[in-house]
Amino acid sequence: MAPHSRFPILIGLAWFFAAFPLLAHHSFTMFDMTKQITLVGTVTDFQWTNPHAYIEIDVPDAQGAVKHWSIELGSPSIPQQSGWKFRSLKKGDKTTLVINPLKSGQMGGFLSKATLPDGRVVGNGPGREP
Amino acid sequence: MKSSFVWLLLLTPLAFSQPAGNPPDLTGVWGIYRGGRGADPKLAAPPASPLALKPEYAKPYETRRAAEADAAKRGEQLANTSVRCVPYGVPTMMSIAVYPVEIIQTAKQVTIVGEAFSEVRRVYLDRPQEDPEDVAPGYYGRSVGHWDGDTLVVDTVGIKPTVSGYRGMPHSERMRITERFHLVASDVLHDQITIDDPVVLEKPVTYTVAYKRMPNTYEMVEFVCDNNREFVDEKGIVRLKVQDR
Repeated sequence: MAPHSRFPILIGLAWFFAAFPLLAHHSFTMFDMTKQITLVGTVTDFQWTNPHAYIEIDVPDAQGAVKHWSIELGSPSIPQQSGWKFRSLKKGDKTTLVINPLKSGQMGGFLSKATLPDGRVVGNGPGREP
Repeated sequence: MKSSFVWLLLLTPLAFSQPAGNPPDLTGVWGIYRGGRGADPKLAAPPASPLALKPEYAKPYETRRAAEADAAKRGEQLANTSVRCVPYGVPTMMSIAVYPVEIIQTAKQVTIVGEAFSEVRRVYLDRPQEDPEDVAPGYYGRSVGHWDGDTLVVDTVGIKPTVSGYRGMPHSERMRITERFHLVASDVLHDQITIDDPVVLEKPVTYTVAYKRMPNTYEMVEFVCDNNREFVDEKGIVRLKVQDR
C-alpha cells in the first residue's frame, strides 16, 4: 500500500474503535502515521517484551555514518498475529524495516513491516501491513 | 421397584445442582469482534446508549476530552494510567484493542482472563453479592453471577473511583455493573454491559462488546510490563525512550 493512502484508513479505524482503547498501552499520537521511512541495517537487539517489543537497529547513511534507531512493535501478542516469533530477529541480522517515525525527531518509530532474514515480509499486527 | 429407587437416588443430586436445562459452555478464548466491513451485522454489537453524566461531572469530563483532542492535534498524547502499565480493571478490560479474553467456566465459578496486562476477574456463581459498602474498592471489585436461562448475568460492585471508566467516564464507589453474557451464534458471544451510578450518571449507560471464538489451538500470551519505555514528561506528555549510541 502506498504511504500516502494509509492515513484515511487509520482515521477510519480511530472513528470506528472510538469507544475502546485502540492500543493497550498508548495511542499512535507520538508517531507520524502519514509518513513512512525505510531503514536498512543491522539488528543490535531484539526485545520480545511487554508492553512492547523493540528492534534496536544500526543504520548506515549514504555517507557511511551509522545512525541508531529504536523501533517499537505492538506487545508480543500483536506482532505474533502477523507471524512474528520471539526469535524472528537476533543480534547481527540484516533487515529492512518500514516505520512511522516519531514526531519529536528522535531516532525512533513504530513498525509498519519488516523483511526477516528468511525473506518473509511481516507486519505489526492486524491492520499494520502486509 | 428396587432399580427405580436406585435411579432416583442417582438422579436426585443432579436435579438439585442443575437449573432447568444446561447452561451453554462459554469456556474458550474469545477475540474482539468489531463488526464493520465483512462482518455479519446481525452478530455485531448493537450501538451503545448515550453517556448521560450529571452536569457537575459532565463539565470536567468534556474539558478533559477537549484537552486530549487538542493534545492529539499537536501530535501529543496526554498521560493516562495505562501508559504507566497500570491495568484497566472492570469493565474496560473486556474490550482492549485486539486482545482476546479467556473464559473458564465451571459450575461454581466463571474466571475471565484478559490478555492485555494479564488481568483476571472471578465471577462466583455459588454465593450472594455482599453489601457494596463492605467490598474493598479495587480494579475488579466483587462479581457474582447466575444463569438466567442461557444468559450469564454478572453483578459487579466495588470498583475504585480512580479506575478509569467506560470512555474515561468518572464514577463513584456506588457504581454497579450488570453484564449479560449471551451466545448470539455458536461462536459469537455478546457481553451487554450496563453501568449504573446514581452519583455520577443521569441514567444507566449500556454498551455491548462482541466476541468471536478463537481457534481452540490459540494459547494466551503473557503480558508482564517489565520493559516500559514510554514515560510521561514534565508537561504530562507521553514520550518514548530511545537508545542513544
